[in-house]
Amino acid sequence: MQRSPKARAASLISLPLAWLLIIYIGSLFALFITSIWKIDTFTSKVIREFTLQNFIDVFSDRAYFNVTIRTLVVAISVTLICVLIAIPMAFFMARIAKPKSRPVLIALVLTPLWASYLVKIYAWRTMFYPETGFLNWLISPLGGSSPGFGMIAVIIGLSYLWLPYMVLPIYAGMEKLPNSVLDASADLGAKPGRTFFGVVLPITWPAIIAGSIFTFSLSMGDYITVQILGGTFQMLGNVVYQNFSLNLPFAAAVALIPVIIMIIYLGSVRKTGALDNL
Amino acid sequence: MALIEIRNLAKAFGTVKAVDGVDLDINSGEFITLLGPSGSGKTTVLRMIAGFEDPDSGTIKLSGQDITHLPPYDRDVNTVFQDYALFPHMDVLANIEYGMRVKKVPKEERREKALKALEQVRLSGYENRKPSQLSGGQRQRVALARALVNRPSVLLLDEPLGALDLKLRQQMQIELKELQREVGITFIFVTHDQEEALTMSDRIAVFDKGRIQQLDKPAAIYEKPRNEFVAGFVGVSNLISGAAAEKLLGKKGTFTVRPEKIRIEGKGAAGVIREVEYLGPATRFLVELDAGVRLVVLQQNSEQSAVDVESLRGRKIALSWDKESEYQVS
Amino acid sequence: MRVGKHRKLAALIAAGTLLLAGCSSSSDEGSGAYAGPVKDTPGTINVLAWPGYAEDGSTDPNVDWVTPFEEATGCTVNVKTYGTSDEAVQLMQGGGYDVISASGDASLRLIYGGDLQPVNLDLIPNYVDIFDNLKDRPWNTVDGENYGVPHGRGANVLQYTIGKVNPAPTSWSVVWEPNSPAKGKVTAYDSAIYIADAAVYLMATKPELGITDPYALDQTQFDAAMALLTQQKPLIAEYWADYTKYIGAVQSGSITVGTSWQVIANVLNGEKATVGAVKPVEGATGWSDTWMISSKTEAIDCAYKWLNHIITPDVNAQAAEWFGEAPANSKACALTANKDHCKLYHAEETDYWSNVYYWKTPTEECLDGRTDVMCVPYAEWVKAWSSFRNQ
Repeated sequence: MQRSPKARAASLISLPLAWLLIIYIGSLFALFITSIWKIDTFTSKVIREFTLQNFIDVFSDRAYFNVTIRTLVVAISVTLICVLIAIPMAFFMARIAKPKSRPVLIALVLTPLWASYLVKIYAWRTMFYPETGFLNWLISPLGGSSPGFGMIAVIIGLSYLWLPYMVLPIYAGMEKLPNSVLDASADLGAKPGRTFFGVVLPITWPAIIAGSIFTFSLSMGDYITVQILGGTFQMLGNVVYQNFSLNLPFAAAVALIPVIIMIIYLGSVRKTGALDNL
Repeated sequence: MALIEIRNLAKAFGTVKAVDGVDLDINSGEFITLLGPSGSGKTTVLRMIAGFEDPDSGTIKLSGQDITHLPPYDRDVNTVFQDYALFPHMDVLANIEYGMRVKKVPKEERREKALKALEQVRLSGYENRKPSQLSGGQRQRVALARALVNRPSVLLLDEPLGALDLKLRQQMQIELKELQREVGITFIFVTHDQEEALTMSDRIAVFDKGRIQQLDKPAAIYEKPRNEFVAGFVGVSNLISGAAAEKLLGKKGTFTVRPEKIRIEGKGAAGVIREVEYLGPATRFLVELDAGVRLVVLQQNSEQSAVDVESLRGRKIALSWDKESEYQVS
Repeated sequence: MRVGKHRKLAALIAAGTLLLAGCSSSSDEGSGAYAGPVKDTPGTINVLAWPGYAEDGSTDPNVDWVTPFEEATGCTVNVKTYGTSDEAVQLMQGGGYDVISASGDASLRLIYGGDLQPVNLDLIPNYVDIFDNLKDRPWNTVDGENYGVPHGRGANVLQYTIGKVNPAPTSWSVVWEPNSPAKGKVTAYDSAIYIADAAVYLMATKPELGITDPYALDQTQFDAAMALLTQQKPLIAEYWADYTKYIGAVQSGSITVGTSWQVIANVLNGEKATVGAVKPVEGATGWSDTWMISSKTEAIDCAYKWLNHIITPDVNAQAAEWFGEAPANSKACALTANKDHCKLYHAEETDYWSNVYYWKTPTEECLDGRTDVMCVPYAEWVKAWSSFRNQ
């Protein structure tokens, strides 16, 4: 009973810590281990014998390089679109709107999260129908046509889905910005545009990076939106989905690609202080 | 012609009249202090001069040009903020160069001026530190250098010493005053600290309820307060009014006598010492006079020693002062 | 129950041996089927089925042959549906299911994987009424042991939207040829087994390749099939595996032609006839499905009752009619609501089925009996399909 506070604290956090280790690190480890096993090619059952064949298959087939590039293009596009939309939104919410209306605005930004993911994506699907969809109705009078299902539809759908995850950190970052810093910039002769790009953006940068971690990683791993809006277009998640039932080790090897990309990404943004913003 | 002419300036926030008809002329090269309690309107006046607040009515002229509704970036004034408002993502040098970079001053000139300003505030060698790596006093100096380097016609200082500890504050008061003499720029200094105002200013404008209560030299504000508010806010007030005034002074009205002008002698107004405070170089007494008024008396400790002082509590004494020390307020 | 426990133990020992020896031969069968008799033990069975095979009223309140079974036997039934045979294999291997309706391309993988147990047909009274040409077939019988009861069969039809594809197609060429009038609005089944559909078309259009069985492709034949799929890709709007999504796409007009199931056409034609469904002249791939029992089931009595129930003439008639396929029970034909159902689906015509190529799992040893070449096994099909889809 007479234990030191340190020991008490340790015992208090040991359970969540164990959970963290088992669930997160453990599952990553399991993923890695699975990727170096063989399968029985007929019954699809995993055989626990070491092989590098899965990685050879992944890296020797140009299709998987292409799909990795496509996935990166989508994840980066989604992130950029979210940044471009979220910055003015967050700036308006944090600095222009009256403090009283801010909770309402935050609630509005969050509303897309209240509905089921599938409902939202199926709604986008009906909008993207090449001939009868809402987008076609909207664009055809202007002489264009709906992009139909494919990469563009996926980028739009994912940008819509993940936007709140970008707006919220940037909003929090901008709200923390003291008024006096903006006043100081104007006082020193900077017009609003200069203040925005010279002061607001650099100070909010870690928050933007924090938001991008969400949008980027969520996009990297998505496969359901791609199935529903992608037409014949596929991303890494779909490769995993297509293969996990028949060739689990191969699917695991493919699944390691986004994990590695995320580790590289997190490593490269670590210095910005974005991780303190999460 | 005054450098700054403020006429009938007014600003309300909702139903609260923050500034309610202020007229003020400020001369070139002057160190003027806007003194008052919080909510008196002094900071709002400063922010309107800077351009951060838009006046409801009235005009502000700078060197004869109407700047009432100009945005901050078009005014030839610079501000030192209470919280310094340094840009956290820039190092000290970049902070100081910011204004010149905005105005597209060539790089070498910019660098040279910034280093000189840094030297002026005695922070040479700190140019590559981030604001978060500096102490409060150092940040204060950077903020000062950042504003002064632009050579504005007016420097606005919004309670810049408020966040510093006493010793540093006193040191900075002296430095600020020296700096002002050196650069010859008009300083408008906002504070709620009357001692600070008295030490540094050429003139003081005492604010209350959105108006200027008195505008004068420090000595005049201190010794000849125009009204009860000024008397009470600046220095310790001994107010004598009503029946007590008639009994003691033989006059009607409200009068003030500064504590250090009162002598404890054998003759004069009789009373009892209620409290004694030993302050080191001086001792402060609270005396309750038989006439029904309490006065604060300040005595130099040149004659008594600390031991004697303590034994004075409860002693019956008499107070006297020179007639010219009495000053009628309002 | 005693036997069930025994089997579990056997499976466990087998699994252990497998682990220790690293041996890939995992057949732990041969210990015989359930001896019976089937007792009135209450229990719960988890049923893994193609959509439309085990209707409990949740799709359409009037379509329900699960609830009567539950009421009659006291067995509780939970139904889980799947979209592709590959998904079925994966779910079944994960465990937790007692009975499954498996197509030929799933059943062998499950049998050799030790996931299924032999079935004692003497305990299933309705078995005698099954069409003879469905009994003891390679996809439901291994080494003389029966592994289940046939449910029904059908062809993967060519479906087209009436009025959008003119003239009404009678050949698969409309989904394969670059000059297709439906370019950009074609769909195909999103599974490696679809490679066989390409092989079926090649059997008719490129006889020089010498394909006789679309599931027995040597490397040259396989490469030709993949080339055909690549040629098809620009025509495709979407690949499908989820049939509700497929239905929506047809209704919206973004898909007008492609491989389909009769049940999909039936749903689309629910209110008015919007699509046609034909077996094209080249023949078609198809399925012959079998109800089978998990080797790990703990509700063996309920499982046997379910197998008997599902091929009862009237239930088999209902299920076949709802799904749109030929029933397996010969007596079901007299009980369908539409008296022409069996005629419509050619249940009793042996000729019709001669160019329907039931799904099977391709193996290295050619299924068409050739011994001079190696065939491309299904694992390679899957790899090729995955690579193709991500090209």
